[in-house]
Amino acid sequence: MTETTKERVVFFALGVPMVMCLIAFFWILAILSSGAGTLNLSMLTTSALQGGLFEMIVGTIYLLLGAAGVAGPIGVLAAVYLVEYAPSGKITRIIDQAVNNLAGVPSIVIGLFGFAFFTTQLGLGRSLAAGWLTLSLMMLPIVIRGTEEALKMVPPSFQEASLALGTTKWRAITATTLPSAAPGIVTSVILGIARVAGETAAILFTSCVLITRGLPKSPFEPVMALAYNMFVRIVAIGDPAESVFGIALVLFLIVAVFAIIAIVIRTYYRKRQPWLR
Amino acid sequence: MSKKSIRKTILHIFSRIKEQPIELVLFLCASFSIVILFLLLLFVASEGALAFSNFGLELLIGQVWDTNAGLYGAFPLIFSSVMVSIGALAIAIPLGLGTSIFITEVVPFSIRDVIKSIIELLASIPSVIYGFIGIIFLVPAIASVFGITSGYTALAASLLLAIMAVPTIVGVSGETLSAVPKDYKEASLALGATKLQTLRHVILPIAKSGILASVMLGFGRAVGETVAVLMVAGNRAQVPMPPWNFLDPVYPITSVIAMQMGEASLYSAEYSALFGLGLILFIFTFIVNTTADIVVRRDGKIGGRKK
Repeated sequence: MTETTKERVVFFALGVPMVMCLIAFFWILAILSSGAGTLNLSMLTTSALQGGLFEMIVGTIYLLLGAAGVAGPIGVLAAVYLVEYAPSGKITRIIDQAVNNLAGVPSIVIGLFGFAFFTTQLGLGRSLAAGWLTLSLMMLPIVIRGTEEALKMVPPSFQEASLALGTTKWRAITATTLPSAAPGIVTSVILGIARVAGETAAILFTSCVLITRGLPKSPFEPVMALAYNMFVRIVAIGDPAESVFGIALVLFLIVAVFAIIAIVIRTYYRKRQPWLR
Repeated sequence: MSKKSIRKTILHIFSRIKEQPIELVLFLCASFSIVILFLLLLFVASEGALAFSNFGLELLIGQVWDTNAGLYGAFPLIFSSVMVSIGALAIAIPLGLGTSIFITEVVPFSIRDVIKSIIELLASIPSVIYGFIGIIFLVPAIASVFGITSGYTALAASLLLAIMAVPTIVGVSGETLSAVPKDYKEASLALGATKLQTLRHVILPIAKSGILASVMLGFGRAVGETVAVLMVAGNRAQVPMPPWNFLDPVYPITSVIAMQMGEASLYSAEYSALFGLGLILFIFTFIVNTTADIVVRRDGKIGGRKK
């Protein structure tokens, strides 16, 4: 067998897994969309007490926005420190390691911690606030890593130009680096939201209940969420899986919208900002 | 002194004063991850340690997990977790590595981003939806293909986990593959090597540790995955007979915690046993992730280009 034929055979064989991944993806899409018939628009605005999804959808959004409100600022500032300020020494390495390890902590362990610390120790109870804090822990590493990447892509000359004009370092960062990295930072936060949108294990004991009367009126009340509802209905109550088709579809759409927005922003700005290439 | 220069001086002093606290705030935000990790370990370990002092080694090697009888032997659970994850890797490694090599080496640049985005979307699908799809599609399919009464098996869990681990493997290994300096590749091609020879003798050896790290991260992900596994694994706390029988139901650690935490009353024996399981899980993933981190760091030095 000549080298060229061998190459073709091997590369063809390597292509098979990729095609299988793509098939799996579209298969999942097909299965999910086959349930589209169970969903109608009025369900989205009907209260859960009448069999609708309204409180679950809004509850999920509440959880996500709150978690992003906690993890976003902390994550971005942490990344600014790591990229712009941190001396490349031991402390920085430890922080780096900690971020990686936090990213790898299983969601159920985060949930256990959230229950022991936020819900029980801090006395937040099963509440929206406890959910925000727990979910923000899962978002944090994603935001930090994404922001770091975005900051590193900004050419140092931008900041140097500002420094040469006599600005302080922080001023140089806020005036040049952060604006240039803004699309990347926004992407990382949205990606973080997408990643935890369907998170179940972390909110299982910390913030959700199966049914509430209306929306939570304060952060200290429990909340309904799509993922939690799907999970408890199938696993604990034993409803047939088909009965949650509508919820699954809505949840998937929410996640997909966030993920696609993130991907589109990233691709768009990569084309617009020539230094990113 | 003119009015302007006074203003300038004040501004200058002000900005100097501002600079220090800002750095401190940034540092505190950065250390937040350490604090959280420390608190996490503290809380899970202090509860979990109680379980180890109550049940001793029984918690690790005991054969029977029956909370009603007060028996907390987690061996079948640990076995289930490892078994299901190894099964998942057996599928995900060829799938993930094949995909990432194909994407970085063969697929033309123009559609590379599209495929990467799809893989990324695969990673964004929530685990509860994977579990849902497992129940309505995978579980019945397994039951009919293998002619068994229930498709809720270790195999179903492994298959789901495999799909979920693929994006991790593709992401990390793809990153290292594309970080291999172009010069190495071009030098090899210039010497007359084919693309395949370049891949085998130049690119793969350099990216070796990154690939290994991606597999380990995928493993950590699989061990820690909860909801999807729980929904299809059958949840029976028994070591399958024989132990490699993937058509038996299993009950991984994560599932046990998720299922039983809701019923455990605060600070009871069951409560601490579940935290003990959480501790085992935490330590296990911590070791896997740290090792992967060390492996990647080593690779960063060999690859020549620091990322």
